[in-house]
Order: sequence, then C-alpha cells, then structure tokens
Amino acid sequence: MEGKELNTTDDSGVFVHTPLFVAAAHELKSPLALVRQLALELESSDTMPQSARQIANQISLTSERALRLTTDLTKHARLEDSLFTLEPLNPVSLCDEVVEELRPLYRAKGRELRVRQRRGSLLGLANKDLLRRIMLSFADNALHYGDNQHPVEISVHATEGGQYLRLGVRDFGPAVPVAMHRRVDGAIGKAASTMSTRPASSGLGVYIARQFADAMQARIGTTRHRDGATFYVDIHASSQLRLL
Amino acid sequence: MSAKKPMVVVVEDDIWMAGQLIRQLERGGFATAHVTNGLEAMDVIDNTHPDAIILDIFLPGPNGVVLLHELRSHSDLARIPIVVCTTTAADIPKGSLGAYGVRAVLDKTTMGVEDAVAAVRRIVA
Repeated sequence: MEGKELNTTDDSGVFVHTPLFVAAAHELKSPLALVRQLALELESSDTMPQSARQIANQISLTSERALRLTTDLTKHARLEDSLFTLEPLNPVSLCDEVVEELRPLYRAKGRELRVRQRRGSLLGLANKDLLRRIMLSFADNALHYGDNQHPVEISVHATEGGQYLRLGVRDFGPAVPVAMHRRVDGAIGKAASTMSTRPASSGLGVYIARQFADAMQARIGTTRHRDGATFYVDIHASSQLRLL
Repeated sequence: MSAKKPMVVVVEDDIWMAGQLIRQLERGGFATAHVTNGLEAMDVIDNTHPDAIILDIFLPGPNGVVLLHELRSHSDLARIPIVVCTTTAADIPKGSLGAYGVRAVLDKTTMGVEDAVAAVRRIVA
C-alpha cells in the first residue's frame, strides 16, 4: 500500500479516494453486511428465543470487531501528530490481556486462543496501546483465516541474542502457494504491503500494524508454515531486565 | 416417503454469515453442507455433487475465482449451478461470470432474508 493518508483532500477540500480509503471501506463491508443480515434475521417473526440470543450476541461481537478497526484507522490517521512514549512492559501479561479481550469472540466461534506458557520473565520496550492493537489485529486475523481444528497460539520469546522480543500469533489453515499470494495480493490490493498478507484480505490490518510498529521502533513480519502462518512483532528488549 | 431434499453447498469463510445462509436454505426446504475454503470445497463438491453452490469470492487459500476455474475443468462438476454471494457484487459486471456457471450474483450488503433461497429455487427446478 502506498503511503497515502486516509484524510487526503483535493484542492477544493473534498476527500479523494486513496488506496487506504478504499481498503478501509472494503474491510468494513463484511462486518457491516453481516450485522445487517443478522438484524434482518432477528426481525423475522419466526426466530426462536434461543436462536435470537445467539444472533444478538453475534451482532454485538461483530460490531465490536468493526469498531476495533475504526479505532485503529483513527489512531493511524493521527500517528504523525502524536508522540508515543515507550515504556518497559511485560509482553506476556499484555498477551494475556489480548486473549482475555478476544475470548468472547473466539468462544462464540467455537475456537480457542491461548498464550504459550514460558519460564522466566521478559521485559520489553514498547508503547503498550500500539502493541496491544497490533496483537489484537493479528489474533483477530488468525481467527478469521485459521482452521477450527487447532487453537491459535500466542508466543513470546527473545530473538537476536536477546536484543529483541518476538510476540507471534500462530494459526493453522490451508497452505497458500506463495505465487498465488502475490497474484491475489496484486489483484485485490493496491492495499497490500510488501509483507505477505492473506489472499482474502485487502492488507489493511497488516498495513496499519506496520505503521503502529514503526511509530514505536518495532517491526512486524510473517513466517509461512506448511499448515498456516505466524504473524509477529519484534520489540526492543528492555535493558532494565539486564539490571535485575 | 418424503422426497429427497435438494442439496446446496455453502462456500463461505465467515461461519456466522454461513449460518445465516444455512438457516434460510433449510427453512426453504434445502439440505446443506458448509465449507470455509476452496480446497475443502472441491472435496465436498466432488463427493456430494450438490444441486447448487453458494459461493463467496474472498476465501482463505484458493479464492472463489480459482474455485470457479477448477469446477469448470471437471466435466461432471461444471454443470452445477452457482450463486455467487459477495460484498463486491457491485464490482462484478452483469453476466461476466456466466461462462463459469454462475447463474446469479447476490450482494451481501443489500440482499434480503429470502434472496438466497429465491435465487437457489430459480436454478434448482
């Protein structure tokens, strides 16, 4: 995705369509269409009470998902004007919070999200809000694209001799040939970034995650597996840990 | 003895959208099978030879267009009528997918509760 901002205007001050603008509209269409369909179902007189409760829950969780994206878009649009302070944080605790926040959505879809347990403590340097948003985006992505036979697993480990900490979200899903990825990315997405995205995706989530990572001197990447993918963010390890 | 219900395979990666389509189809008297990706779809379609397919375009793995190509290449599967159901229906020129056996295109953003059933009924005579 080229670096056009969402709020680009022409000479007369009118919003112009940028790849980001189009990608945002594309990404929001699916949850909005689903909410509409579910609401129409609720309106139909023959919906059973038990089923109605379930549908209402799906509407609520789908709306929350769409709202997370709108919040990310807003935050992204203001990135240049903001200063993001970096603070020492425990990445495992942050991942636990992400799991807690997404648990209702995962449970409603009959899926499991968990943090791989590890020994020893790690301390990283990042902006907590931006890092949390990146991990929420990756975990949400994994829910959508992974299969339902395996739990989605978040892991944290030190990398590059302990200079960085890698927070990864591993999903399991159908293997996608790299050539197909490139072809489809090219077709859908002017929105696609150089980092591989999902073939069904505009790449918007990954693009925003990259902007968030850049804003706190972190970096994101992906590892493709035979049976799925890991999307990760590398943050600087905190030197405070070495002082302990 | 009751007549065998016509079978519709729903290829849709969003399980809640699929659930909605399945509810509608089953209320309309159809039997259904649901798959979430193109690879699984080929297996199920090959095994069940359904009376119709409802197909989303954006899927994980091989997408809906790849699946359309694949179905065309099998003479026994190429005759199965397909209803495309997508959020990008407005971007698909009318009739452009006819050569792939697509008999109707439904727009997820505007379709009504009975539209999927009506579209399938029209092609499963």
